[in-house]
Amino acid sequence: MPDASGIETQAFFKTIKLDAIDDSLPQEIKTACGVDVETCLECGKCSGGCSNVRIFDITPRQVVKLIKTGQEKPLLAMDALWACVSCQLCGDRCPAGIDIARIMDYLREKAYQKGIKATRYQVQLFHELMLGFIKKTGRVAEGQLIIRFNLKTGRYFKDADLGRRLFLKGKIKPFSSKIKNREDLRRIFQESIEREEDQ
Amino acid sequence: MNVAYFPGCSLHGLASEYDRSARLVCRHLGINLEEIEDWNCCGATAAHSLDHKLSVSLGARNLNLVKKMNLHMVTAPCAGCFNRLKTASYELRHNPSMAEEVAAIIKAPAPVETEVSNLLQLFVEQTGVSAIAQKVVRPLSGLKLAAYYGCLLTRPQRIAQFDASEQPVSLDQLLQALGAEPVIWSHKAECCGGGYAASETDIVIDLGGQVLEAARQAGAQAIVVACPMCQANLDTRQKAIEVNRGQKYNLPIIYFTQLMGLAFGYSLRQLGFNQQLNSAVTLLKQRGWG
Repeated sequence: MPDASGIETQAFFKTIKLDAIDDSLPQEIKTACGVDVETCLECGKCSGGCSNVRIFDITPRQVVKLIKTGQEKPLLAMDALWACVSCQLCGDRCPAGIDIARIMDYLREKAYQKGIKATRYQVQLFHELMLGFIKKTGRVAEGQLIIRFNLKTGRYFKDADLGRRLFLKGKIKPFSSKIKNREDLRRIFQESIEREEDQ
Repeated sequence: MNVAYFPGCSLHGLASEYDRSARLVCRHLGINLEEIEDWNCCGATAAHSLDHKLSVSLGARNLNLVKKMNLHMVTAPCAGCFNRLKTASYELRHNPSMAEEVAAIIKAPAPVETEVSNLLQLFVEQTGVSAIAQKVVRPLSGLKLAAYYGCLLTRPQRIAQFDASEQPVSLDQLLQALGAEPVIWSHKAECCGGGYAASETDIVIDLGGQVLEAARQAGAQAIVVACPMCQANLDTRQKAIEVNRGQKYNLPIIYFTQLMGLAFGYSLRQLGFNQQLNSAVTLLKQRGWG
């Protein structure tokens, strides 16, 4: 919207329309995460402390507000879900003890299960590839994971020189170790969602 | 003292010098580390981002293996592993329905007895800073260091239950006990970008860059870490950060166990100082420490 000087002013963060009040989402969060968003004081310390808020489309404080008003759709589609580095500052600083990082995990998991396309697909792909390694061997070989990731994203030479230097420093092992008890792993992964590796 | 040891994937790979120096220093202090046989990956950010129950189950299996070793405490040098194990333990202790589900998955009662400690915590709380100071044969005098805790050693405080999450001091005190001079700086508990080094490198260049810049402004000669992700991000992306910010840093990123070993008289090579890209070898050799 143009201001008095006629200059187009752009909202830094997305405008959110609050058009419905529905308490099923706060209840769901309470049951799943053990967090009561109604205790939010709207002080904004979560957003003030957030490591990555500069690139968030919806700030941590707005996340809590949207939960209070039952706005699931923008929450599951927001870029902030995949830009969040899980540094835990938001919840740690909350005077009301709202574990926002846990809420973010819950929302990510829900968006993933619903098949909502992540805005930063590389982040989700990286997670999937990593879980694929764990499912297969019980452990992660970092070098192999990063090579696999770069091949999948078509960035064939990204970090190739870095990889070579780290290999020469003895930091990348050509072989990965596997755990012996596959039955334990099978049970642990059995109940979890289908992964990219299975396709 | 016998303690179960959870190295995690990084200490078997990118952070092998952390593993080596941790084992050396523990032996020197009379701590007997018993590596958990058949441990599995903690699941890291990937598991807790996509599947909460999976992340708790992966941790619970490890905690149960510790119980089977008849040990009551496990130590994880990696801040990420520590955080995941501690979170799993917290969930099992405070969330009865989750504990029940996970017990069925790992086919064992929820291992709520196992205590989880990070390695820095083990030294500070079990051995004690003054006992460590007594072992110093080569005081690291005049070395200005930025003690960098990052996110996951202390946060969330409710779960980590270690030091203070806004202004942690344990690593500063330990470095002081080694004779070094910890600098006062702004970014000791800020985030380096964590596990995004490969998938969202720009985020690491931004957040890691802020950490390096803060350390430089505080006059640090090196940054001391207790986390393989912090080490990898600040060391391997330092060159890209320098290009991005138009500022040279030349800051070695050192594990605290390497400095403990150095102060205890071990050689740079034994402690893996030669394995890091922005090497501290020149800085330390100039002082006659080798």
